[in-house]
Amino acid sequence: MIIPYHLLQASGSVIFAAQGVDILSFNTSMEHLSTWKYPVKATETPSEPAADAEASATVEAPPTPEGPPAKRRRTENDEKEAHAGDAGTPNSTNGQKKGRFHNKPQPVNLSNEKPFINCLLATANGSHVIAATGSDKTIWVFEHDGSGNLKQLSQRAMPKRPCSLTLTTDQKKILSADKFGDVYALPLLPSAEPTLPPTVQSLPSRSATPASAPIPFKPQANDKTVHTKRNLKALENQKISMELSLKAAAERSAEESQPAFEHTLLLGHVSMLTAITVAPGIGATGEKREWIITADRDEHVRISRGIPQAYFIEGFCLGHEDFVSRLCVVPGREELLVSGGGDDDVFLWRWKEKQLLGRANILEEIKNTIEPELTKIAVSRLKGFSLASGETVVAVICEKIPAVVLFTLVEDTLKHTATYSLKEQGVPLDVELLPNDNLLVSIDTTEGKPDAAAPFLVLTRNGPDSWDQKPVVDVPAGETELNGEEMQKLLYTTESLRKMSDFD
Amino acid sequence: MAAKKNKKQKREDYRAAMKQDDVLTMPRKKFYRQRAHANPFSDHQLVYPPHPDQMDWSTLYPAYVAQEESQPEATPSSTTEDLSAPVKVKKLTQDVEVADIGCGFGGLLIALAPVMPQTLVLGLEIRVSVTQFVEDRIKVLRRQNEESKAYQNVSVLRANTMKFLPNFFRQGQLSKIFICFPDPHFKARKHKQRIVSTTLNSEYAYAVRPGGVVYTITDVPDLHGWMVQHFEAHPMFERVGVEEQEGDPCVEIMRNATEEGKKVERNKGEKFVALFRRLEDPVF
Repeated sequence: MIIPYHLLQASGSVIFAAQGVDILSFNTSMEHLSTWKYPVKATETPSEPAADAEASATVEAPPTPEGPPAKRRRTENDEKEAHAGDAGTPNSTNGQKKGRFHNKPQPVNLSNEKPFINCLLATANGSHVIAATGSDKTIWVFEHDGSGNLKQLSQRAMPKRPCSLTLTTDQKKILSADKFGDVYALPLLPSAEPTLPPTVQSLPSRSATPASAPIPFKPQANDKTVHTKRNLKALENQKISMELSLKAAAERSAEESQPAFEHTLLLGHVSMLTAITVAPGIGATGEKREWIITADRDEHVRISRGIPQAYFIEGFCLGHEDFVSRLCVVPGREELLVSGGGDDDVFLWRWKEKQLLGRANILEEIKNTIEPELTKIAVSRLKGFSLASGETVVAVICEKIPAVVLFTLVEDTLKHTATYSLKEQGVPLDVELLPNDNLLVSIDTTEGKPDAAAPFLVLTRNGPDSWDQKPVVDVPAGETELNGEEMQKLLYTTESLRKMSDFD
Repeated sequence: MAAKKNKKQKREDYRAAMKQDDVLTMPRKKFYRQRAHANPFSDHQLVYPPHPDQMDWSTLYPAYVAQEESQPEATPSSTTEDLSAPVKVKKLTQDVEVADIGCGFGGLLIALAPVMPQTLVLGLEIRVSVTQFVEDRIKVLRRQNEESKAYQNVSVLRANTMKFLPNFFRQGQLSKIFICFPDPHFKARKHKQRIVSTTLNSEYAYAVRPGGVVYTITDVPDLHGWMVQHFEAHPMFERVGVEEQEGDPCVEIMRNATEEGKKVERNKGEKFVALFRRLEDPVF
């Protein structure tokens, strides 16, 4: 299976593109410069490409005699494997709570899920490139020599999976928004000496108990808080068993302690974060300040103050009725914010005033030109570009929709300029501005016609709303042992944010 | 065949009977039991407004609905109203100012109603049946006190406040938040589900105006320690001193009027109270 380029990031005259677990660099004529390969550990990833379908079929419980059991994770083979797994590996749920569900997810070896790069970011001056990989929750920082070569500087595994990364305006701190709803600040270049325990300098996280709490252990319930005979008896038993396992627990908690590098908890939502961005502005005292804007799966767009007052919520841009998946501060017009997600529209805000300026109906545009039967969309990319001509273009890509929808910012409104159909070529994955005002679109060609297949497409503008296209064919093609379905799951994750609850 | 009605049937019949308009007897808890815990992270079938301006309070506080003489368009804060779905919402003469997060069976609400008759008090509860109980309880109380117009200032709403507090309340709308006997979530693995945490306190600081107070009470010493630690770690809150705390009439109500408070009393347990004042906004 060929992996498409699913993330693009321009940095000066170099274009970085993530292809699965690797990062490739290109010059502006899309000639390949260099590749950074994810350091694969031989023991973790079986490298036989033949194991296509089997790779996931032979999941079972990984032989991990030591350490905590692997995280339970829903896989597509759950239903099929539920019984086989129960019979064959009685210890597979070792230490896990017995669920009420029959089809409980089996523990899956993490190495089985590819650590696809899910964020790619470059500093303003192009000196560094930052990436985050999914399943291993790692943030990578690379030094960029200016001609496409990346040198890995650090590799930091976060407590929870990062969903979105951004940099503070001074380019010194990485802000990482994770699946758990927390935002952490990490220095771009970690200091050499080991830092103080993070709880000292950071807010106590709700994911971690206070440092002093677990040792020495004492049950939190007491004979005053539980009343029934049965509960009292359970409490007694708990005391006995806890004393026995006290040592083991102490050892474990030492192992599970926070990562050793410096990271500060800034703020947190209770729902899953999907996007984070930083917007500059002027503070009350006339100084230059910045604000952190975060979006979550529960329709919120939150405006918080920048460091060091990130605990202060300025307000919410409320109005979305489905998840928010992307945020974009309009370049050159930093007081404006565009947000998009599972709603039919993208929203344009004056974020500091929490004022909704307008909505642009993407679904309608796509229905008119591409798929008349479409009922819902999920915005997977939302990027604003400041063209040399002085215009500001906002490009929107919706998941699995073969089109790029382009808007121009006219004063305080988004004016639709073009819906660029890519029905022939495939599904666009990302879009980026090339230095010569051309737009570069990366394409998943599996959906397109084979003869028109090209991993990249360069869109050149030759009129107010007409664009020429030029396919870029001559680029390295990555291969993977993943089958099509698995890759779809890794590439298209936005629609899964939509809520489908049928219970109270 | 089945001459005896089963539990579920009885419960449904009872609930249906409670819907009648002339019920004057208080609802009975046994028909509203529900398991004590709800997962705050799951997507319940919740109803919440996309924006506080679109919240319809009129059904909750019918006695406080504003007369339709003023033009609703002229409100200054209607930033999104004209652009979002054109929902016409009946305005109240005043805003909700006190919230009881996790109100349970509503003991605190009922006790607060006569103490602050000029203030709108809202209970928020995530469990459906329990919310229904409080709703029926308030309905009956309002009916029993039709002449005195008592209990018109309290109401209850089903909501997940950990996720959707800003959907109901504007910045600084609240003067008091009560968090009474919250689910302790004893296991360390469940600590993230606790209703108090430093990151979540930012949202309480957003909803509470400067000078407002967050009231907490629990019978679990460790949870008390957790709540104090997390509120004190938050730069927007300071702990209220013991003297002022004991002088506050709400503290007495919180200790003795809540269902949990009474239960702890019966079992001769200890109750730990902590109050936190929302500080002025820092300059930025």
